[in-house]
Amino acid sequence: MTSKQKYNLALLVFTVPTLLFFTVMVTIPILQTFQKSFFDWDGLSKATFIGFDNYIRLFDDDDFWVSLKNGLVFAFVLVVYQIGLGTLLGIALSSKSLRGRKFFKTTYFIPVVLSGVVVSQLWIAIYNTDGGLLNSLFALMGSNYEQSWLSGEHTSIWAIAFTNGWQNMGVHLVLIYTAIKSIPEHLYEAAKIDGASFWTTHFKITIPLLSETYKFCLIIAITGGLNAFQNMFVMTSGGPGNISYTFTFMMYKAAFRSNEYGYGSAAAAVLVIECLLFTILINKLVAREKISY
Amino acid sequence: MLKRITKRTLTYGPLLFYVLVSLYPLVWLLFYSFKNNEEIFSTNVFGIPSEWRIENYKNAFAAFDLLLYFKNSFIVSIGTVVFTVILALMFSYAAARMKWKYANAGRIYMTAGMFIPMQIILIPLLIIERTLHLQNSYLAVIVPYVAFQLSFATIIFYAFFRSLPYEIEESAAIDGANVYTTFFRIMVPLVKPAIASVSIFVFLFAWNEFLVALVMISDNALKTLPLGLLYFQTQFSSDWGAMGAVMVLSTIPTILVYLLFSEQVENALTVSSAVKG
Repeated sequence: MTSKQKYNLALLVFTVPTLLFFTVMVTIPILQTFQKSFFDWDGLSKATFIGFDNYIRLFDDDDFWVSLKNGLVFAFVLVVYQIGLGTLLGIALSSKSLRGRKFFKTTYFIPVVLSGVVVSQLWIAIYNTDGGLLNSLFALMGSNYEQSWLSGEHTSIWAIAFTNGWQNMGVHLVLIYTAIKSIPEHLYEAAKIDGASFWTTHFKITIPLLSETYKFCLIIAITGGLNAFQNMFVMTSGGPGNISYTFTFMMYKAAFRSNEYGYGSAAAAVLVIECLLFTILINKLVAREKISY
Repeated sequence: MLKRITKRTLTYGPLLFYVLVSLYPLVWLLFYSFKNNEEIFSTNVFGIPSEWRIENYKNAFAAFDLLLYFKNSFIVSIGTVVFTVILALMFSYAAARMKWKYANAGRIYMTAGMFIPMQIILIPLLIIERTLHLQNSYLAVIVPYVAFQLSFATIIFYAFFRSLPYEIEESAAIDGANVYTTFFRIMVPLVKPAIASVSIFVFLFAWNEFLVALVMISDNALKTLPLGLLYFQTQFSSDWGAMGAVMVLSTIPTILVYLLFSEQVENALTVSSAVKG
């Protein structure tokens, strides 16, 4: 074997296992999901081609519209809570004279590493109607705002989304904080000389310079909200009725509880297309130009 | 003077308030794992337990096979880390350091997985696993976990391999080292920090993952911790104290891992965000 052949063989040894594995386990299944969404299929017997029937049925299904709305609400809560609060806390943490920075950062990140099931179960107790932490807090403050958070038609999905917002805010905080740290000091000095106030400085300098980070944060927060499953599954199982349904839950229910694999595939396909549309939209809307200092 | 105090309050006040928001629910959980239902929801909602009821933990251990779930989660997480790191390291090395026409296309293909929700492959995956009879082994979840963590791991390793100077391989080649020796003896040790970051991140992911485990594992003997917790919730929903005890015990390992390796976790997160969506 010549050394060129040896090099090429090594190249194959290094790349083929990974590429093959990824293709078989990810790429081909994705294509299969799209393909199967046009079939009536129970997962065992032969699938029958039915064209767009699954999609027509989906758009006729009340669960679908509830899930669509809930996905958007979920995404909205994550964006406001995680990116909004992440920005405020990130700016506060990057203040040069701050003491205890490491402590704050670590504390804010701890919920991220917990199991989502534990967090959901914890918040079931917090939201508990009779004497849960939240209602007890309201009672303590003398307010009568107490309610059944998880079973209320207008509170359920918001309460579930808030749980996720609380758990994963730290991810966004770390990303935003790191990005702020990489902004050159001289830009702030210039602003100081010009007499810009604290908030003007951050609105005019920090936030625009974070556009690359925001792009990433928006994509993970929005797609995370649209994909939501774990919290709602553990906390309400979609109920009462269908008020806390999401697309992933629809897919789960259709495929793994009613053996309607074709219908479940259609729900999954719509979900992926929705995520893709938002990703494209974010890429278009958030400033594209490369940042130069 | 007054101005300085105001400024301090404005900076530290909100920061400390959010410490409370972030930590108090967890402290509250720790407290209620030692309380009985009456204390949790009516007589002593906020404070420390009036009496430390260790029996909650005893009851939890008696009713819940915690060790089994720990063992399963541990095997699954370690398995996922090992396979992910090996596959991603080899591929990233080839993409970042070796000369071939499709190096860049290959890298983009592998990293696209970062933005694809796992949901989309669940249905075909279940069929594949049924056909290959993977469902009765740990591989039922390890295989999909590895497949989906490869993108993230590749991004990190690629970035690290790219940052190393090219002279390393040139001098290794002059010394007569072949590709494999160069990779295992020289390059892999150089990216140890990246391996640590990826390992911890992937470990935490596999330890906490829920949806894939829910769909793929039906055998109780193979269930991971999140599934075990769900089972416990449905069986013992009225005993909040024991439930709290189980939640506390299953949470301790991840918090420890994070407190020990917080730097690596944060680094991995930041590097992976640099990929263009």
